[in-house]
Formats: sequence, C-alpha cells, structure tokens
Amino acid sequence: MKKYQLGEFEEIVLLTVGVLYDEAYGVAIKDEIERRAQRKVSVGALQSALRRMEKKGYLESREGEPNALRGGKPKRFFTISFYGKQALQNVKDIRKELWEAIPDVALDVQQR
Amino acid sequence: MIKHLADRLFKWFCHPDFYGDISGDLEELYQRNLEESRFPQLRYLLQVIGLFRPSLIRPFSQKLKINTIMLNNYFKISVRNLIRQRLFTTINVVGLAFGLAAFLLINEYVRFEKSYDGFFKQSDQLYRLSTLSVVNGQIETKDAMMTHPAAMNMSKEMPEILNYTNSWKLGEVVFRKDQSVVYEEVVSADSNFLHLFTYEVLQGDRETMLKQPNSLVFTKTKAREYFGDTDPVGQTVEVLGSYNRSFEVTGVIEDVPENTHYKFDVLMSEGSLVHRRDYMEWNWNNNYTFLLLDKNTNMSALREKIDAFCKKTYGEETTEFYDVHPIQDIHLKSDFTYEPEINGSEKAVSFLTVISIFILIIAWVNYINLATARAADRAKEVGLRKVIGAFKAQLVWQFLFESMLVNLLAALFAIGIAELFLPYFNALVGKQIAFHVWESQPFLINLTIFFFIGSFLAGFYPSLVLSGFKPVVVLKGKFRSSKKGATLRKGLVIFQFAASITLIAGTLVVFQQINYMQGKDLGISTDYVVGITIPRVEQDRREEHRSKIGAFKDELRQHNSVLGVGSTSDLPGGGSSDISSTTTSVGIVGHSDQKRGTTYLQSIDDNFIPTLNMTIVAGKNFDRNRASDSVAVMVNEAFLRKLNIPNAEDVVDELVQFGDSDDEPQTFYLLGVLKDFNRTSLKTEVEPTVYWPALNPYTIVVKLNEGDYQTGLQFIDDTWGKFFADSPLEYTFLDQRFQDLYDQDRRFGDVSRAFSIMAILIAMLGLFGLSAFMSVQRTKEVGVRKVLGAGLINIILIFYKEFLKLLAVAAIIGTPLTYYAMNSWLGNYAHRIAFPWYLIALATVVVVLFALVTVGYQTYKVAILKPTKTLQYE
Repeated sequence: MKKYQLGEFEEIVLLTVGVLYDEAYGVAIKDEIERRAQRKVSVGALQSALRRMEKKGYLESREGEPNALRGGKPKRFFTISFYGKQALQNVKDIRKELWEAIPDVALDVQQR
Repeated sequence: MIKHLADRLFKWFCHPDFYGDISGDLEELYQRNLEESRFPQLRYLLQVIGLFRPSLIRPFSQKLKINTIMLNNYFKISVRNLIRQRLFTTINVVGLAFGLAAFLLINEYVRFEKSYDGFFKQSDQLYRLSTLSVVNGQIETKDAMMTHPAAMNMSKEMPEILNYTNSWKLGEVVFRKDQSVVYEEVVSADSNFLHLFTYEVLQGDRETMLKQPNSLVFTKTKAREYFGDTDPVGQTVEVLGSYNRSFEVTGVIEDVPENTHYKFDVLMSEGSLVHRRDYMEWNWNNNYTFLLLDKNTNMSALREKIDAFCKKTYGEETTEFYDVHPIQDIHLKSDFTYEPEINGSEKAVSFLTVISIFILIIAWVNYINLATARAADRAKEVGLRKVIGAFKAQLVWQFLFESMLVNLLAALFAIGIAELFLPYFNALVGKQIAFHVWESQPFLINLTIFFFIGSFLAGFYPSLVLSGFKPVVVLKGKFRSSKKGATLRKGLVIFQFAASITLIAGTLVVFQQINYMQGKDLGISTDYVVGITIPRVEQDRREEHRSKIGAFKDELRQHNSVLGVGSTSDLPGGGSSDISSTTTSVGIVGHSDQKRGTTYLQSIDDNFIPTLNMTIVAGKNFDRNRASDSVAVMVNEAFLRKLNIPNAEDVVDELVQFGDSDDEPQTFYLLGVLKDFNRTSLKTEVEPTVYWPALNPYTIVVKLNEGDYQTGLQFIDDTWGKFFADSPLEYTFLDQRFQDLYDQDRRFGDVSRAFSIMAILIAMLGLFGLSAFMSVQRTKEVGVRKVLGAGLINIILIFYKEFLKLLAVAAIIGTPLTYYAMNSWLGNYAHRIAFPWYLIALATVVVVLFALVTVGYQTYKVAILKPTKTLQYE
C-alpha cells in the first residue's frame, strides 16, 4: 500500500491534471484548482508537487512550443501515467471502503 | 528591475531542466498580474522565493567537491611558493604567530578577570547585601559593608532569601607558629558560610565545624605550613593580639583560589567574636553579608521589599538603604567603598580586549596586503590553471588552502610563543593565570577557532582576487596590479597606522596620569617616613598596652636618626576601607545647617601633624598637656567645603555638632583646620574628615634622617623587640604605600605598553614586506629616473611621499579615537591631567619615524642599484 501514498495536495493536483487532460500545464492547473477548490495555490508548492510526482512516475510530461506571450518559453504539459491512475484509484477505493464502513447512526448528527 | 533580478536569482538556483517552463509560467502570471495587482514585480519575486524548494533547486555540490588528487597538488605548489618567498613567508608567519599569541594571552587574562567568584555551586544565586546612604534621592555613599543583624531579620520576612551569611574581615591577625609569631589573613564565618561559599571540605564537618566558639578552619596550604604531615584537626593554635587565647582547629578546606574577591587563609568561627561591639548591633556596619537567593527571584520586587524593610527598621525618614549585587559582578563592576580588596577594572579589561583585537587584525591585514600585492607573481599560474580547466571555485579553495597553511604554521608557533611568554605575562598582570597554555582548554579552543577565522578572513579576499584573473589577459603578459587592490591596501595600511598611533598615544596617556599621581603634592611629606602597625590587645590589657605604646614612642625619639614620631589611627596611603566613618549629620553651630552624608574619622596625636609636615590653615594643633583638648577636634578643608564654609578662620573655636538637634547631638570645639592632604589614592577626592585627639593610637609614623635612615630602621627593630616581642614588626615606607595604591594602574600601563609595542612591531613588519615588494616592483622606474638625473634623496622622497600621505590620514583618524577612549579613562580619576594633546603628536612622530626607517631601508636598497644593471634587459 505504501507504494501508492499520496498527499492531499498531491491528490488534488493529480486529479486536476486529469480534468484538464491535454491542456494541463502550470498556470492552467493553478487556475483550475483555485477555481474549483476555492483555495490559493502558490507556484512553488504546485511546481514542487508536479516534479515530485513526475519523479515518482505518477505523471508524464512533454514540452510544448515556445510562446511569445510567455517570453519565448515553452509550456510543459502533464498527463497522468499508469501508476498515477493506480494511485488515484487506490485512494478512491480506500475512501469508498471507509464510507461504506461508517454505520448510519454515526452520521445521524444535527448541525449545531 | 526587481523582476529582472528575481529572474536571475531563479535562473541561478533552479534546476536547469525545470527553468524553461517554470519561468514561462511565471511570465504568464506576471503578464496577468500587470493588470490585476498593484505590485506585480514584487509578487514575481515572492513567487521566485516560494520556488526555492529542495525538489526544484539545482544540485550545488558537484562543482565544489574538493578533489583529493588536486589537494596534493595544492599542497606541493603552496609549499614550494612559501619556500621560494622566504622573506614574505617569514613576515607572515611571525606576524600572525605573535598576533595570535598576544590575542590569546590577553584573552586568557580577560577570561580570568571575568571568572571571579563564578566557581561556587550556586554562584549565580549569590548576592552581596550592602549599604547605600541616600539623601534627597541622591546616592551619597555606597558602602560594601553591612550591619550584622540585617540579614537575619530580612530572611525572616523575605522567602526569596534561602540562606545568608555574615563575615567580618578580621585582616591580619597574629598567630603563634612554632616559636615565632606571624600574621595570617583571617575572616570570620558563621556555620552558613561554607554553604554559600562551597569550598570543598577536606577534613571536618561542613555543618558543625564553625559552630563552636574558638574554632579555626585552615586552608590546605596553611594547615600543611603549621602542622606538616600530622593531622591538623584537634590541634590548638594560639592567637595573639586582641584574642590572646587558644583556638582549636576543627577543619581543613581547599585553598582559596586567586579569582575570588573575598580571600582568606583561615576562617574563625563567628561564636569567637560575640564580645565585639558590632555583634548583633544595628548601628555598626562592619561586616560583609552574602545572600543565597531563590533561582526565580524577581529582583525589582525584592528591592522594593528591601526598601520597605529599611523604612520599617530605621524609620520613614531614613537615609540608610540596602542594595543587592551579584557577587560575580563585584570584582569588575563594584564602585563601593570598603571593598575587601582592591577590585579589578572593567574598563581596563575592555581596553585590553580592544588592544588584543587590534593586534590580531593588524596581523591579518599584513597577510592580506602581502598576498594581494604579490598577486602578479601568481597571475600566470592562475591563467594556466584556468586554461587547463580549473573552476574559479577550485582556485578559491587553492588559495584558501594556502592561507590555511600559513595560518597553521603561525598557530603552532603561537603556542610556543605564548608558552614562552606566559611567565612574563603572569608577572605583567600580577596574577597566576595558568601554568602551561596547553593545560587551558579555552586557550586551545580559541586557538582553533581563531586559526579558522584567520585563515578564511585573511585568505578570502586574496583568493578572490587571484582566482578572478582572466587567462587571456595574464597569459598575454599584459597584466598589471589592479588599482582596486592598491586602494584596499592603502586603506588597510591606514588602519594599521591609525591603530598604532592610538595604542601608543593611549599608553603614553596612562603613564602621564600615573606620573602625575605619584608626583602630585599630597599635602604631607612622606619621604623617609616609616609606618608601623601595632597589634591590638584584648579589652582588659588595653590601658597597659597604650602606655607601652607611649613608652615605645618615647624610646624611639631618643635616637638621633629619628626626626619625629607621631601616631594615628590610619596610616596615610591606605585603601578606601582603612578609615572609619559615620553617616550622622554634621554641622558647625551658627555657621551651617546639619548636613548628612559620610564623614570620615581619624584619630591623631599632637605629634602627627609636625612629623608629616602638614599645614594648619587656621587655628592650632592638639596639645597633650591641654585638658580642654579632650573635647576638641580638627577638620580638613574638604570638610568645610562640604558645609559650604568659605573661610576657615571664621569657624575656629566654634562648635562642631554631630547629630540632629532632636536626638541628643554632641558638640566639640573646633581647634584648627588642616590643609587638605590625600590619605588614599588620587582616584578619590580628599575625604571630608574630622580628626580626634588621641594619645596612643595603633599606628605610628616615624620620620627618619635621610642620611642614616638605615641605622634608624635598625634601631626601630631593636626597640620593637624590647617592647613587643609577641608580634612581628611590620613596617612600610609611606611613599611605598602610596606607590602601591597605583599598582593596578601601573600594571595596566605596563600591559598596554607591552602590547602597543607588539602591535607597532607587527605593523612595521607588514610595512617592511610591503615596501620591499613595492620597491622591487619599481626597480626599472628607479633606473629610468636615475638615468634622467634623479639623485638618491629624490628617489627616496618619492617613495616617502606615498606613505606620508597614508600616515596623515591615519593621524586624522587616530586622534579622535584616542581622545574619546583616553578621556573616558581619565574620567575615572578625581585628580586627573588635562587631556595631553601633544602626546598624540608624539605618538604620530614615533610611528612616522618607524615607517620612514622601514620604507627608507627598502628604497635605499633599490635606489643604489646601477641603472646599467636594472635596465640591462629592456
């Protein structure tokens, strides 16, 4: 199980990469997470998560064309790898099992 | 601008694989922020800083990895270079070694001075209780001594006081040892004493050995002196003088070290002293009180409690207050009177620290100057190394390595030098600081630390300069020493000169002040005057003893080399604590109000004033045959100044009143006014003093004939034997006593002189090397000048001009530095010289002379060369 360890932020980044499919590069991922999860994402945190997961093999990447708007620098597009998919699946399975294991009464709580 | 810098920073630290696209992202976000955010550039920078993460930065270690094979090569090249340039290596190593040794020795001394009273188990909780007399919110006097019952009563009310002890410094007490009589340094101790001052108890019981009256505790060395190898405990020792009875030795403790302010050889149990007038009395503050406070004591709260305690004890209107001070601060920071010994001076310690830092920096500067000046020699080597593929970082390391090698040599020599000079240094500071330098752990630790600091500080700049050469330029042979390097060298030389001038001028000022104090007219004649102290006796023999003293004096007068014999309670030339004093209010009836503050009290007989050639300004001397003199006093001018009485004649035959009118004041006839004389060091003002008539006080002054004072001394010794066979004769010449008061100052002067000389020698060593190098470099220029007709003098002057400019700047910097430092030092003295400006000029002249000789010698060597030789190969 240790093999598929994913942090909470990593999981969100990985999922977002999946959501954006072919258009997942730094700024786009940042915008998407900020829009969906309503939270600020710093470039540093995002980039280090991306490179870390690429190194672990959860992500694959390819370089795009240089772009004038970006000061002549290329974009780097990320896609989920096979292992990335497995890691996500694994997290999802654990969550699902846990949800199902909760007895109904435990969730029968009122908002106070 | 910020963005540009941030981008460079990012490019520098980012992993090259990631740089391209991440900087693209940053750019995109920046473009967007241009419209949305107020500080887009700043945000850019913050984002860059946020990207400084382990997973994103490039690996830094590869380039800096030191190649061990290259290390071998560096070592070989360095050693070759050091051997080839013998002169410069010697100058560097000698300068650094002496600088380091001086620095470390002074450091040892400073550490020693700061270590006072720090070796007890709870030193940081030990405090001394002392007395302040506060009049109208102003502290009038600070007295280190205390009344006896205060601590006991305070500890009942204040839970912070965990323990306390009272101790009288009994001073020199006469002991019978075998067949002879000797003086021993004794303090009293209650049974708490050894719980605060946690000396190791070698024999006897810490709890009980000081409980019984007539008990003594010896230090280890004293015990051995008295009893040899026999067991000291249970032995009896006869104590003479005012005790005149047998005491039992109940214990032995370890020797009292040098670094405590409260020194003694023998402890006497407090129970032996219950007959003293000040025992359990509130009106006498004659003993030292030490407190052990709780770790978490709130000092300001405690002080408030103590103030309240004083008001409760002495009444709301009291001028008597107590204060507490950590005992570890006493040696360097106390400014109290009645200290048990002459304390050290915090100022002297910090001055020495500054001197030592100066010396060390001067030595480092030598290295920097010589290394950068000779950079040209190494330029080709650097160029070639770079061509072959050396990184700049590698070259930096190479030259740092070389600097370490020189510093290592210097550090090794420094150990030897320090060890060699340690005995002289101990004698210089008057303290046994250590026996061997390698036994002192802090010494070795400091040596290591400053070896590394020195290697890097002195080596860093030269190695940056050397490694920065461009191979294309140096290999083409177009290399010239850079202007920037020359400016730095000039700056450093100015620093050396300025430091030398300051040190020399400072030392001269110290000696000027000491000479002034020794030469100043004290108001008494101390030449060939001998002071003799007569031991005290117990109460019931006192009358008999006094008449014996009288007979002794009469006998002395018979001899024709004795010019006069007088007596007093306090020998002139004593410490501040030798004299008794009172804080009762004083005044002259009808001429002044009653005034509070300390008044000093001294008893003299009618022969004291003529024997010491003192001047009576108004009125007349005591006369033992005039009955009314028993209710008369004399005062000094300082006393009248305190009462704001301008004319001494006005108050003669008036009444001096002690005490306020509401509590039974006492009055005495004012017989005469004495001209001020300095009883103690000129650090303090003349004390406002009242002189009482007494027939035979315990100290005697004998004025001897200058021609045959030796016979006089012999006569005193013989006569002493007839009268006081019980005790050893102790005499001192009064002028010697005054000299001794300035011992500390003279020591300070000696130490700063020694190290100032060292500083200037090290600086000159560096200058010697620098000018040697520069004159060799300018050999051809000198040749051309000679061909064009310049004489020897012209050439030497050209070289001088440059150094004289630097010296002028140094003098300008050094002058205010010296003034600021030395004027504040002179501020310690009540009688001080005006700031002697001419000494700065003198110091400058000394430095100029040194510099001219050093530079002149080197220039001369080049200037006498024949142009045919120097220009041969052009």
